[in-house]
Amino acid sequence: MRSSDTEALIPTSEAEAVEAFRDGSGVTVLAGGTILMPDVTYGRYPKGGRTLMLHRAGLDTVTDNGVVTFGAMATLDAVVASGVPPLAEAAAAVADPEIRAQATIGGNLAAPPGVASPRGDLQAPLLAMGARVRSVGADGERTEPVEDYLAHERGRLVLSIEIDRPARGAYLTQRRPHSHSYSVMAVAAADVGGGVRVAAAGIAPSAVRLSGVEEALANGESAAEAGAHAGEGVEPPDDALASGWYRREVLPVLTARVIEQLQGG
Amino acid sequence: MKAVGAKLPRYDGIAHITGRTAFVDDVKAPGMLQARALRSPHHHAAIRNLDTRRAEQLPGVRAIVTHRDVPHNIYGHLEALGVPADEPLLAEDVVRWRGQPVAAVAAEDVDTAMEALQLIDVEYEERPALFDIRLALEPDAPEIHEWGPVFPHFGPHNHRRVRKGDIEWAMDAADTIVSGVYRPQAIEHVPLETQAALVIPEPDGRLTVYSCTQAMYFSLGVVAAHLKLPLNRIKFIGGTVGGGFGGKVDTASETIAAVLALKAQRPVKWRWTREEEFLVSSTRAPWHIEIEDAVSSDGWILGRRMVTLHDSGAYARFSPYGLTKHAFHHTGAYTIPNLKFDGFVVFTNRVPTTAMRGFGVTSVSMAVETHITRVADVLGLDPWEIRLKNANRVGDTTGNLVAMQDPSTVPVTLATADAVGKELPAQFRAMTSERRSGDLLPAHLVAQQAPEGAHVLKRAGALDAAPGNGGGR
Amino acid sequence: MELMVNGTPRATASSPVTPLLTVLRDELSVTSVKPGCEQGGCGSCTVWVDGEPRRACLLPVGTLEGARVTTVEGLGTPRDLAALQAAFNDRYAAQCGYCTSGMLMAAQALIDRTGGGPVTREQVIEALSGHVCRCTGYVKILDAVIAAANGEYEGHHGVEFEGDASQPEVEPKGAPA
Repeated sequence: MRSSDTEALIPTSEAEAVEAFRDGSGVTVLAGGTILMPDVTYGRYPKGGRTLMLHRAGLDTVTDNGVVTFGAMATLDAVVASGVPPLAEAAAAVADPEIRAQATIGGNLAAPPGVASPRGDLQAPLLAMGARVRSVGADGERTEPVEDYLAHERGRLVLSIEIDRPARGAYLTQRRPHSHSYSVMAVAAADVGGGVRVAAAGIAPSAVRLSGVEEALANGESAAEAGAHAGEGVEPPDDALASGWYRREVLPVLTARVIEQLQGG
Repeated sequence: MKAVGAKLPRYDGIAHITGRTAFVDDVKAPGMLQARALRSPHHHAAIRNLDTRRAEQLPGVRAIVTHRDVPHNIYGHLEALGVPADEPLLAEDVVRWRGQPVAAVAAEDVDTAMEALQLIDVEYEERPALFDIRLALEPDAPEIHEWGPVFPHFGPHNHRRVRKGDIEWAMDAADTIVSGVYRPQAIEHVPLETQAALVIPEPDGRLTVYSCTQAMYFSLGVVAAHLKLPLNRIKFIGGTVGGGFGGKVDTASETIAAVLALKAQRPVKWRWTREEEFLVSSTRAPWHIEIEDAVSSDGWILGRRMVTLHDSGAYARFSPYGLTKHAFHHTGAYTIPNLKFDGFVVFTNRVPTTAMRGFGVTSVSMAVETHITRVADVLGLDPWEIRLKNANRVGDTTGNLVAMQDPSTVPVTLATADAVGKELPAQFRAMTSERRSGDLLPAHLVAQQAPEGAHVLKRAGALDAAPGNGGGR
Repeated sequence: MELMVNGTPRATASSPVTPLLTVLRDELSVTSVKPGCEQGGCGSCTVWVDGEPRRACLLPVGTLEGARVTTVEGLGTPRDLAALQAAFNDRYAAQCGYCTSGMLMAAQALIDRTGGGPVTREQVIEALSGHVCRCTGYVKILDAVIAAANGEYEGHHGVEFEGDASQPEVEPKGAPA
């Protein structure tokens, strides 16, 4: 079997996409393609089976009526254009203009953990904003908080992501010099009314809430004091971009800066 | 010489900017097959069994080659320079680096070739691996190379030596010894064009080789030697290199593609993936350099004792040559009369290292320039002044006793000072490259100075002034 | 399926997940598009899809039914260079040439997008931020793009194929200074 041996399904509506996906078994979902296509070239694409190509399914709309709803196929360019803090800043920091025009918010959310470097930078701001994910799978459609979505196997088809527009947001990414495409880790914070939520990407297989930091802020601690709680409960990995030690050292500093940015902005 | 000083267009400029430059992978031949290599997943292992029969049955596979298909498998690229052969084209009974090619497949398409690799049966028996050159000479270091832990063919020695003057005198006479350790690391060349070759077996038995090599005649010779073909049976087409930087002299793809093409009797294209380029292509070597300078409190470098370990990776390749260049340059732009240099080419289970811009010399330049600033720091002297004082001048001799004719250290240092607005005292500002005399010729520099007009410094009853046979201890 | 390549309809028999890069190079013999990394990390494969710069190595051809693809072959020819190509040649913006196709497509898209007038260094850097060059050190590439956008070179901006109205028609400013 060849990696190119796959049946292409090209739905022309959300309903068709849901029907084609069924329970997802034997289906590879192709959103923007920026993460999946190298697997084709390098012979790692799932052999046989079906590829669900979503470019015609009408899932790329963005609506804003107080609640901002991104279709799963909304590109990172569209996310930047929405100006929703801190998601827009995070999207603007991903890769380069050509990639951002092709990559999608749904594909980024659903990205499996990378082997050599972290993926799914947008998971952190989505967590910080308390986003809700609408998806379908074996048990039908459901909408759930993004942390619940991230906690389970990525076997569902993401249809849209809805966000209550935060009052304020802040985002910082830590990069290796000359490595514009990949971030070592990133921290996002959002004021969602009723408190500040903080999340980090690149320190675990998926992005995580920094609840120790959130509690410290709720108790009135300073940005630096709150940032010191950032490493609680996480074991950052060694990978091609940075060691776990480096991540542990830098995370509190990055977190404190994001909080300062949030409070100052 | 109408071209000198003129602004000339690149002869390939129009082709580049219209996308018409033909790189190796842009060339297609009718009936062309695609190649992939099976590479060792282990850093160090014995090969107990290698069976390609299942892979040969896969529809679309046209040839599979192992070491048994190579007429002359172990060929030394630098045999003419006294470096004996050690590296197999395709592994025989051992693999010594992760990525070493064990077999290669030519198939109708890339997907089939990749699938065929999965069907080649190899039985490995892992062995301990060594990655730290500093541990190579320990008694309990893993044994990697049949020649031992280091390359042993520097004449009668297992290291490259430079001896000049009397290092013990210098160390005794010094007011201070300044030590430093410098460890430049491996660097990938990362050319945008990955390694690629297209070999076409001509009906009359000749081979046409489209190559990305930086060294056409050299690579032609390598292919001819492995295949035991006369040079005039092979035509190389190349000179269009999508970035090489020293990494495309290894002839890393042409020969295996040629063996496949001859066996399949069809053209074979082999283009490495970017993953292969990063993971298995040769790199600039890591080095470990230890310098001890005997210095006087007024800023003279009386002597230098230096040990260099060069990480050759699993095979020698060009490392003895790179280390030799490194040895020649270990005094940098400065005149140091008493020298003891020992350089070792050390085998590890890394990918074999190779040339990269300034091969052998960038490492020693970084080390000696950093070190001379360190000397200035330790002595509390100005790093510019210490350079100007010790700078090479006409009649000063190199480590291997060759007289300087036209050294540029002084004028370049002064021009640099100008460019950055560095103020220098008048006596330094007035310095030139002319022969040392007066204050610039202290007693300890007299013996190393060649007589006026001499090209080489000879001692009475001296040994031949060749590297490695210096007259000192 | 069929797509337009440099104004000409071309048919492909490749499977739908085949990267556009592979279709262009191997099936359609459009070789200006280079396989630098096939991971979207280097920009050597950048082409225009419906006038917008994209990585051909990351685009499954199955999503491009009816799309208009433009490559360097469509940008200009040795006898009819785009102003940008003339600028690259005059200013030595290409050394080995491997990154050049991608650089040209990204830079020309910037010039066309900003109406064919002068561009700032920051704009060029942003537009080329996904493009790697291992030879030139980038300075001459930036200089060439700025000079071309400034009207310092004869030649056309952008491309227009019969029936293709996506590119703005821009008048070059005349002979180089």
